[in-house]
Amino acid sequence: MKLTVIGSGPGGYVAALKAARLGAQVTVIEDSEVGGTCLNVGCIPTKSLIASIEVLRKARRLDEYGIDLKGEIHPNLAGMMERKDKVVATNVRGIRALFKSWGITLVEGRGMLRGPSAVEVRKKDSPTELIETDKIIIATGSRPALLPMFPPDGQRILSSDHAIAMKSVPASMIIIGAGIIGCEFACIFRELGTEITMVEMMPGAISTEDTEISSMLERELKKKKIRLITGVRVDSSEVGNNVVNVSLSNGVQLTAEKLLVSIGRSLNTENIGLEALDIRRGPRGEIQVNNRMETNVDGIYAVGDVIGGPLLAHVASMEGIVAAFNACGLDKRMDYSVIPAGIFTSPEIGSVGLREQQAAEKGINVKIGRFQFRMLGKAHAMGELTGMVKILADAATRKVLGVHIIGAHASELVHEGALAMQAGLTVETVAEMIHSHPTLSECIMECAADVNNEAIHALKPNA
Amino acid sequence: MNPDDLKYHKEHAWVKASGKRATIGITDYAQDSLGDIVYIDLPEVETIAEAGNELAEIESTKATSSIISPVSGTVIEVNEKLADSPEIINEDPYGKGWVAIIEMDDTYELDELMDIDDYEKFVEEEAK
Repeated sequence: MKLTVIGSGPGGYVAALKAARLGAQVTVIEDSEVGGTCLNVGCIPTKSLIASIEVLRKARRLDEYGIDLKGEIHPNLAGMMERKDKVVATNVRGIRALFKSWGITLVEGRGMLRGPSAVEVRKKDSPTELIETDKIIIATGSRPALLPMFPPDGQRILSSDHAIAMKSVPASMIIIGAGIIGCEFACIFRELGTEITMVEMMPGAISTEDTEISSMLERELKKKKIRLITGVRVDSSEVGNNVVNVSLSNGVQLTAEKLLVSIGRSLNTENIGLEALDIRRGPRGEIQVNNRMETNVDGIYAVGDVIGGPLLAHVASMEGIVAAFNACGLDKRMDYSVIPAGIFTSPEIGSVGLREQQAAEKGINVKIGRFQFRMLGKAHAMGELTGMVKILADAATRKVLGVHIIGAHASELVHEGALAMQAGLTVETVAEMIHSHPTLSECIMECAADVNNEAIHALKPNA
Repeated sequence: MNPDDLKYHKEHAWVKASGKRATIGITDYAQDSLGDIVYIDLPEVETIAEAGNELAEIESTKATSSIISPVSGTVIEVNEKLADSPEIINEDPYGKGWVAIIEMDDTYELDELMDIDDYEKFVEEEAK
């Protein structure tokens, strides 16, 4: 069976590897670099920079940890970028090596559907190539969404693709959109010394998270002196000689050296031949698929950002695996019920499942536990006091429905909650499992106990 | 020792009134229960404060909690020194550790607050 995958991000490359393991003859088409947004301009490069920023933040607290420094600490952005590029290059080579090892053919160029069993590849310097195939997986991903009034020029007005490759630290930056990407960049550049003003249309930052978690993040942003203006629109902008001027709907005028537009992602559905094959699309242009990742055209599958959904690399990878199984003649269904996710702000956020505001909207009767990192010895030993865990359990069945964490290592800690949900465990089971001491994971145990007001390290409630 | 010229709110805030100007802080009992204070999220000047509602957020090594405004009015001054040195509240809760000054809408709310004797009895009861 010949399978052609268009796009090699975390959806496409994982699909290709899974299908190759299942015996398919796989060709991957990529018009940029293998790894897609995630590896080249998304998850991995931002986390590389954040690793540098974390070291910087700790270095600035050396005296707290009893370490003397002779001299001064200077962040070197060029050095951080060089390290980041090296990390990305290593991982790009890693995917290429995996492809080679599993006999996957990589064709570099832009793929376009030419029929239910043909994909044309337009290459940069050579003639187009037509690939005959049995099955196709579309995994073309997404790109930064743009506002027509702020076309990014890479100089004054930036998209996240530019921000990840900055040459110098700006004195000031306006960030439009206080979502995940905006907040992560705000934390990175603030630590480097940039004056940050974030502008958000919604009433708060990262409004997709549990409101208690997002308001705690807002407070942490405020501590860093990151200015957050919410509930306003941007009316206009004007690029001056060395500055960008922005007018907000509430009449406020802002001026900064750079403007970062981080208002979400646009799906890459244009110029890939969807129309000629009548592949069904949804209101946002997303390719519509069933739970086997099949489009309405027989033998054509779609996975990842291009089908809309949560726009998460790890969801795309699982969709890729499901599509690969089905393309190879097996039967696998996609299950979206448990999706953990990390936000790499400072402090980090890790969350899975039901948010409290969703429970209210859906009329689900929940019991809630809360636990602060600062109640535990390990948090003090680490010097990471800021943080909390919040668990939502079904009031009747006691099953864990949602786990929300803000604080050090939250993106790792959340997986215990995710596994509890996947296995359908009750908060009692989580609370009764012995958790190793001293660890931050004890917060999960204590928080699960707090659902029944039974956390050990909790002050006696006022009568 | 709690000063006897102040009025106290059950959420452990104190008020020192001079005409319509009310200086607000937290009590010695509050700072002692909180432990080492590491951060205070001060209100902005011109914020409207309402008696019984949150005026500021405070964070210690043990807990995060709210400072409840004992009176209603408009914040006209905040103690900016606390932003960089919140531990002043631990050191001097009734003096240098004041939090904000509120221009009260009306002074009648003061009558609803406790005097020192009532507050000390209240704390004793709560501690039981």
